[in-house]
Amino acid sequence: MWRALFFVIAFWAAPARADLAYVLNSADATISVVDTATRAEIRRIPVLREVHHLVVTPDGRSLVVGDSGGNELIFLDPESGAVQRRERISNPYHLEYSPDGRYLVVASLRRDQVDIYEAASLTLLQRFRQPDKPSHVAFSPDSRWAFVTLQGSGQVAAVDLEARQTAWVQDVGPEPAGIIWHRGRLIVGLMGREDFVALDPTTREVRPAFRVGRGAHTIFPAPNGRTLYATSRVESRIAEVDAETLEVRRIFEIAGGPDCIAFDSEGRLYATLRWTGRLLVLDTATGEHAQIRVGRSPHGVFVMPRRPGLDAAFAFQSPGAQSGTRPMGAPPPRGLAALQGTGPAVTVTPVRVEAGSPTSRLRAPWR
Amino acid sequence: MWDWIVDRYDLFTGWAFEALLQPLMYRLGLMDWADEAFLWMDFLVFGLIQVVVVAVVCLPLEAWRPVERWESHRKVLTDVAYTLLARLGILPMIGFVLFFAAQTRIEAMIADSGWVPPTLETFLPFLREQPFLALIFYIVVLDFAAYWHHRFQHRIGWWWALHSIHHAQTQMTFWTDDRNHILDDILAAAWFGAIAVLIGVPPGQFPIILLVLRLAESLSHANVRLDFGRVGERLFVSPRFHRAHHGVLSVGAEGKNYGVLLPVWDWIFGTADFQRDHYPRTGDPSAPRAYVEGGWLRQQAAGFREIWRAIRGKRAS
Repeated sequence: MWRALFFVIAFWAAPARADLAYVLNSADATISVVDTATRAEIRRIPVLREVHHLVVTPDGRSLVVGDSGGNELIFLDPESGAVQRRERISNPYHLEYSPDGRYLVVASLRRDQVDIYEAASLTLLQRFRQPDKPSHVAFSPDSRWAFVTLQGSGQVAAVDLEARQTAWVQDVGPEPAGIIWHRGRLIVGLMGREDFVALDPTTREVRPAFRVGRGAHTIFPAPNGRTLYATSRVESRIAEVDAETLEVRRIFEIAGGPDCIAFDSEGRLYATLRWTGRLLVLDTATGEHAQIRVGRSPHGVFVMPRRPGLDAAFAFQSPGAQSGTRPMGAPPPRGLAALQGTGPAVTVTPVRVEAGSPTSRLRAPWR
Repeated sequence: MWDWIVDRYDLFTGWAFEALLQPLMYRLGLMDWADEAFLWMDFLVFGLIQVVVVAVVCLPLEAWRPVERWESHRKVLTDVAYTLLARLGILPMIGFVLFFAAQTRIEAMIADSGWVPPTLETFLPFLREQPFLALIFYIVVLDFAAYWHHRFQHRIGWWWALHSIHHAQTQMTFWTDDRNHILDDILAAAWFGAIAVLIGVPPGQFPIILLVLRLAESLSHANVRLDFGRVGERLFVSPRFHRAHHGVLSVGAEGKNYGVLLPVWDWIFGTADFQRDHYPRTGDPSAPRAYVEGGWLRQQAAGFREIWRAIRGKRAS
């Protein structure tokens, strides 16, 4: 009994380890590992050539990084950053697992192909030749459909994973990039316009969803499920969008070309700034922010929680997981009250917030 | 200090892209090329730095101990134009626009065949964790490939008809390094592109190494009486070593000292000339007048005519 009590005391007394942010430096052939508490880069992992996007395996045990230039997938231990294994596959640019974990779908931007792999064995099941620049992938929650934006031809392709064929291709607007499943619709960023559009996959009707400014690019659901965050490349900003009404609540002006976004377990936002080689950390509740220098042209980002009880797949148990590139049908609540409680109050009029320059420092301690 | 320099470089490149190039691309409906355009901006800024660094090093050397002195430097200006077109990304950008689609198709065909192109690190796995060492390996392999590429440029009649433009310069300076016909550049891209399919492309995260390599290649063309000593001449290509290659008696298939960076290949294959007191006049006595006297455009036009003549067998090789 004393031993049990000792462990309980030790557990509660142990200092919480800081979350780790993994940042893919696409022009540096490296992965930056950042301690989010000290905001210091603690390690650089060399890769072969050009890394862009990463995903968590369905079991949460690995981070899978696509090295498109090196024709390789790198499996990392998200706890330590140790390389678990490497797999040679053709030009993995954007990649995502189906919600049921059966498939890994890979978009190859420069080879005009979309590949479906069996997730467990990485056996190539089907390769689809696409008209022009397949860019980002999103799934339907039932894992039946994979949707791929085609940047060059201004379309979204719907791939039937059961029949393993392209079911339809829909014009959506110039240069579509980021895509997520959101409450029965697909939200797509159009880099050639100022807005995101909503595509109904049943009727294939396309409607303007909301406006972020020139070069609408990518969109990510916050863990609280009430907010989406969308980026604009040319205007260089992040828009905070009401997940229910799709109204833009706030706009964060950020020089440096915000691209991919991840969230830590307390709802703080981490965005890669492609053109200035930095990682933005933004507490959207308080407006506190900082920028951390990483490698050149940082693209994909992931934050590994190190709080007890959370693992790499924590985001898939959050309310926000019902939207996204890998949407969960009904994510089980698993002690994630903190994720549900964060987020600002809803205001309908967009508010502009200056969210830092490359030399900005945190104006208040996080902890 | 170095980190500070790289950071300023990144911030400047990022600012130039965001403020100048990206809005233009949006207006032209070219946002799906944004990543490539950012790389081009990087190439442009880095190219500018390369030109400045090479000039800062080579100009004083050429003023210090010139091999030749000329009253007029008009011919040198043509080589300056070549350098600016090549290093400021104009010719590479045109090449990229013209060949990107073809490259995509070829890569897709290779992918469809089921073959996943390897990298040098696939064959030498210990290089995975040592990107700097990997770069050194790539430099050696690519320099070996460059040696044979260079020998074929001299051996094959129609290829020499193009490459002669590079050798026709009678006022060789460090600016002469980029003096090539665009068809010759395309052939070089195809040559090294094929090698890239076999062993991958080298890691690009060591700009200082790339800068040193660029400096070494330019310096080898410099109009300076400079050798690297008895041992050094056998380790790296010096201005003396490469001038022997550009000498009037070393043209076409009679060439020697083909090495670009490492003389060891000439040593191994019997084409080395290590006479350290030999600084010949440069030029190709059989080159057409346009190759010697013409500006960039005239030389390019003449190049097309000469290769056509060579293919039809009407040009002496």
